[in-house]
Amino acid sequence: MLKVFKYTLIDLARNRFVLGYALLLLLVAQGLFALEDDPTKALLSLVQVVMALVPLIALVFTVVYMYDTLEFTQLLAVQPIRRSSILGGQLLALALALLLAQLIGLGLPLALHSPSLAAAVLSLSGSALVLVFAVLGALIALKQREKARGVGVALAVWFLFVLVYDAVLMWGMFTLSDYPIEPFVVPLAGLNPIDLARIMVMLQVDLSAMMGYSGAIYKNFFGSAAGTGVAALILLLWVTIPVLFAFRVFQRKDL
Amino acid sequence: MAEASIAYHGVGKRYGKLWAMRSVACEFRKGEVVMLIGPNASGKTTLIKCLLGLVRPTEGHITVNGKAIGPDPHYRRDIGYMPQISQFPAALTIGQLLEMMADIRMLGKDELEDSLVEELGLRAQLDQRLSTLSGGTKQKVSAVLALRTRPSILVMDEPTAGLDPLSAKRVMQRASGVRDAGGTVLITSHLMEEVEAFADRVAYLEDGSLKFLLPVQEILASTGAKRLSEALPIMLEARLTNDAVQ
Repeated sequence: MLKVFKYTLIDLARNRFVLGYALLLLLVAQGLFALEDDPTKALLSLVQVVMALVPLIALVFTVVYMYDTLEFTQLLAVQPIRRSSILGGQLLALALALLLAQLIGLGLPLALHSPSLAAAVLSLSGSALVLVFAVLGALIALKQREKARGVGVALAVWFLFVLVYDAVLMWGMFTLSDYPIEPFVVPLAGLNPIDLARIMVMLQVDLSAMMGYSGAIYKNFFGSAAGTGVAALILLLWVTIPVLFAFRVFQRKDL
Repeated sequence: MAEASIAYHGVGKRYGKLWAMRSVACEFRKGEVVMLIGPNASGKTTLIKCLLGLVRPTEGHITVNGKAIGPDPHYRRDIGYMPQISQFPAALTIGQLLEMMADIRMLGKDELEDSLVEELGLRAQLDQRLSTLSGGTKQKVSAVLALRTRPSILVMDEPTAGLDPLSAKRVMQRASGVRDAGGTVLITSHLMEEVEAFADRVAYLEDGSLKFLLPVQEILASTGAKRLSEALPIMLEARLTNDAVQ
């Protein structure tokens, strides 16, 4: 697995898309910090950008990379190594390349302009989203035979998590506002990794007060050490369950 | 008769409702070149992919040197494979790719046969990125990858497509060399001259079935033709099978 990882990483280190991703994040983060006098406001704007952009890039890039390297994956699969080593090496390299790009594009400006706990949580949440959506991207690429279809499904998944999920949740909250539904809001937020990551950052900048009673519930739950542990566990599940599925699918896939 | 190195035991592959290959039972022996021919979508690539472990048969099984192949990948140590389409990681150089594949197989320099790198004119291009290579050069790299590990089973899917005549000749000579060293060589081809020049036996597939697997001389003798390009149409029109010829 380490050999596949090593050479995939060498390939990705020179990949224009990865370099472009680092540059894009760097420009956006630097731009926001340059435009805003208050680093906290810039950080909040950055949260919105990161929560939308990071999942999109991680999903689409992973899907496209997996399709573009399919013939090479076939060549690897006829070597005397296990398929789990191939996928494991490729996934590790993809995740590390995206994480390194994010460290440069997001981590550096955050450390420079807003060295705070909130910035660290944003960086960590962004990293968790990279892992979650890179793994989901791999799973989509393995399940769909055609590249165009795979990219389409990836975009639909992104749209679902970024927009549709929140819209449905909001609609539900408004429609059922007469009922005591707030206790259900926490587990519902946990179902969406993007919402979960956003809540974790918002709690650090103490904006939960602006989120009303739901915000208070979030703060009560996720604000504690146990709550943070649960959030980390949920994000871990968002990575491990699709990873297990991806390995299972790849093991049985006709290449 | 030489010992069989590869045996298909009623192997079939179904994609959804469509059988791409059905009930293929045959043996490929040590020290022979078998050319697989047939129209597009006849099952040639599926037959090869089942052997390589890229595709899991829906029915039957395959044995390599007497052992049934399964999830254990070690049997592939003996196999060299040259695919029809060569796509490699764009940012790696030829040298890095060769190093990677040797690394994966845990082979040292002394265990590799690298003279083909020189013969195909790749030595000067080792530092060149794979994304900058022409289709023909990628095919050469692919041929080197398949042959440099000294395989005892060589599988090539349309190996000369895209190669210049001299490189094609050298690659096919190397394939013959594997046969001469007691290896088994399976090659898919559409070029009858190539089949005639290199095949010991010809396997003809159609609609996913193996119609016949015969020595070139027998095909010529049974049809009375002097060239394989003339004999094969006669065979196909007469719907001759192994049994009918023998």
